[in-house]
Amino acid sequence: MRNIFTTVVLLLSAVLLSSGCTKKQDVNEKVLNLVSPAEIKGYDPIQADDLYSGREISKIYEGLLQYHWLKMPYELVPNLAESMPEISKDGITYTFKIRKGVKFQDDAAFPGGKGREMTAQDFVYSIKRLADSKNQATGWWVLDGKLAGLNEWREKNAKLPASNYDEEVEGIKALDNYTLQFKLAKKFPQFMYSLAMPFTYVVAKEVVEKYGKEFINHPVGTGPYVLPIFDQGKKITYTKNPTFREKLYPSDASPEFKNLLADAGKKLPLVDKVVVHVMKETQPAWLKLNKGEIDYYSVPKDNFASAIKDNKLTPDLAKKGFILEIAPALDVTYTAFNFENKLFHNKKLRQAMYLAFDEKKSNELFYNNTAFPAQSIIPPGIAGNIKDYLNPYKGLKLEEAKKMLAEAGYPEGKGLPELKYDIPDSTVSRQSGEFFQQQMAQIGVKIKIVTSPWPEFQAKVKKKAVEIYGLAWGADYPDAENFLQLFYGPNKSPGANGSNYDNPEFNKQFEDAVVMQDSPERTAKYEKLNKFLAEEVVAMFGVHRQSYILEHGWLRNYHPTDLHHDAVQYLNIDTAKKAELLKNF
Amino acid sequence: MSTEVKKSNSLLKAALLKIVSEKVSLIALIIVAIYFGTALLTSLNLVASTWNTSIGASYLAPGADALFGTDIFGRSVATRVIKATETAVAIGVVVSIIAIVIGTTLGMLAGYFGGIIDEIIVWFYTTFSSIPSIMLLVAIAFILGKGTTTVFLSLGLTSWVGLCRIVRAEVMKHKEREYIAAANAIGATHSRKLIKHILPNISHLLIINFTQTFDSAVKAEVVLSFLGLGVVGRPSWGTMIDDSKLELARGVWWQLAAATLAMFVIVLAFNILGDALRDALDPKLKGK
Repeated sequence: MRNIFTTVVLLLSAVLLSSGCTKKQDVNEKVLNLVSPAEIKGYDPIQADDLYSGREISKIYEGLLQYHWLKMPYELVPNLAESMPEISKDGITYTFKIRKGVKFQDDAAFPGGKGREMTAQDFVYSIKRLADSKNQATGWWVLDGKLAGLNEWREKNAKLPASNYDEEVEGIKALDNYTLQFKLAKKFPQFMYSLAMPFTYVVAKEVVEKYGKEFINHPVGTGPYVLPIFDQGKKITYTKNPTFREKLYPSDASPEFKNLLADAGKKLPLVDKVVVHVMKETQPAWLKLNKGEIDYYSVPKDNFASAIKDNKLTPDLAKKGFILEIAPALDVTYTAFNFENKLFHNKKLRQAMYLAFDEKKSNELFYNNTAFPAQSIIPPGIAGNIKDYLNPYKGLKLEEAKKMLAEAGYPEGKGLPELKYDIPDSTVSRQSGEFFQQQMAQIGVKIKIVTSPWPEFQAKVKKKAVEIYGLAWGADYPDAENFLQLFYGPNKSPGANGSNYDNPEFNKQFEDAVVMQDSPERTAKYEKLNKFLAEEVVAMFGVHRQSYILEHGWLRNYHPTDLHHDAVQYLNIDTAKKAELLKNF
Repeated sequence: MSTEVKKSNSLLKAALLKIVSEKVSLIALIIVAIYFGTALLTSLNLVASTWNTSIGASYLAPGADALFGTDIFGRSVATRVIKATETAVAIGVVVSIIAIVIGTTLGMLAGYFGGIIDEIIVWFYTTFSSIPSIMLLVAIAFILGKGTTTVFLSLGLTSWVGLCRIVRAEVMKHKEREYIAAANAIGATHSRKLIKHILPNISHLLIINFTQTFDSAVKAEVVLSFLGLGVVGRPSWGTMIDDSKLELARGVWWQLAAATLAMFVIVLAFNILGDALRDALDPKLKGK
């Protein structure tokens, strides 16, 4: 009897298991399967201060401008704006014509459940919402001090029980339903970039008011996809927005993207459904990719050796039709000093430490030798990066480092207190901390590693409660200003300048440069500032990373990118090829 | 009274004799002694002082060059495992001492005085033990910040409840005994009765408890390190296992194997020793 029972159980589980393994994907349906490596904080554009939330929000909401999908270097083009703005001669007034006939997605917040037409007033409302201190928008920094009268409006309304959105602000006006005018407080050419960031995406007042606090879970935008309600789960499913306007796949491209023009002129979005899997751990996502259940994923550090040899895919991956995409990221990793601590005002100490750090070895251990050693803060691909420049203080130059440390007043590290090195508490961060400790030990500098969870680590930096810490900065927009501002005095903690570096001469030069229009003169200024920071060793610049992304042969139009949060609408699936390739899995 | 003390002495002696006479428990005792000896030697930098030096390339497989291979920075895994013994033994000993001090003190107070004091202490440890201990560990680690001290304290503060209960019950029993009545008759103070008379009579419980707490502290350190809350800046079996969760994807198994093996052996040895000690010391099991 017991034997029969066991057999039945075994048979049952075998049936269950095999049906689980061979679950067929419906290859005729055009579905994109993507991964988000972090949980989504919600769908409120003004709170989208992390890359992952930004990407999800951009599936539903849109802004005035966007980056051209097939142009490199990054080029701003109109999105909800009809055309690029008219800019007054003094560079202060920006006048936009708004696209006509753009409809908000259907939602119960609108009369009859039908989305109404978007107008210039919606932008005025959305920008004020970003500025309203009651909303505690994490994206306020992009417009802080930038638009005439907006800061004053913010301060005045902070004291009122309810903010007055009807009060006119000089910096942002709707001249009529389809004309929007911005007036800057002072010249700031980078302003246009902020109009392509999720923070300034357009929202409808009715929807915000109907859902109140729950608005963050009820996204209603003008974009290509809809998500009726968001619940924090492991899977987010978007469907095509039936009322999406006539937006077409671009027909022009830079030379390197000419091969992505097969869908030119087709109506966007190209796939019917998008499924985003929230997967924080790399290994399960990697396995899913290898089963064909995800369309692309970046190669995890520890799977690198088994997936890639000499920058090419290993034969068994190539046989499955995988394509490897390699692209430099617009970022920089760095080890920062907290200049509130007088110890680090000793330039020779900073230089000695930088000279003692073996970047080559670090690149090998943590990036499989795929990153570019950073000689300065501005990454390649952004004006201000100096080609072929070599930082004289970049390690490893051990003898020079020892000499420099002696000159700094600490021969062999004598007299120097133990320094605290703060890092987040992931395994890889801890390992990089141990590596830093080893490197500094070579010249006698003692390091104590302090690990904290990511939110606590960020809070410590904001509270200036750190000595040395490791961080990376990714571009918000392709302009050197976004990197150089990390050392601009007025941006001190809790601002982005967590180093609390404050050099009046640098501040002045920076202020002069950022108000200039893009020009060879401005680039020259950026280069000068960049070199200054590098040789002052205001931080130990590590590497500019590269992304190694594996995509399936059936995915079309994909290319790795840092700034196209809205990439999904351009992607396409070749269903016939998918059916064929899946046979190899 | 003096006969009581003598008897307890001979009990301990007998227990030791019993352990030594049995092969398995003798081996366990020797292993524990080796671990403690290693920990002492590494803390004096006589053994494994090169744990932080590279001996070759990263991730060398076990072989002639490196017995247990190398880690991400090319350091010998074998040396690191040995150095980590120091961390493990230190954590085991300190945590057990903290737990025993708290558990015994509160347990004795509750058992001896009874009444409102008993009620307060029982309420306190019941409440305390209703909080999942892993949550408590994490919470304490967050408040105190990172480091070895935190691991000591957080584990010590969460491991005393079991002992406290046992001691309380045992003291309740003892305070009714004749020798305490005798002590009362000659006017002994509370503290004298507690420390001089009752404590020696329940000391076997503390020894048995020590072996159990040591065990669980060593294991808990691994859990803390795996959660990123453990020891930083010196090798521990927990951080080694944490490292290897990523390395397994590249086929690097030796760090996991070495750390797990080291931990397995001492935990097993302590378990056997604990059992043998209980058999030898617990009067109720005597002669069975």
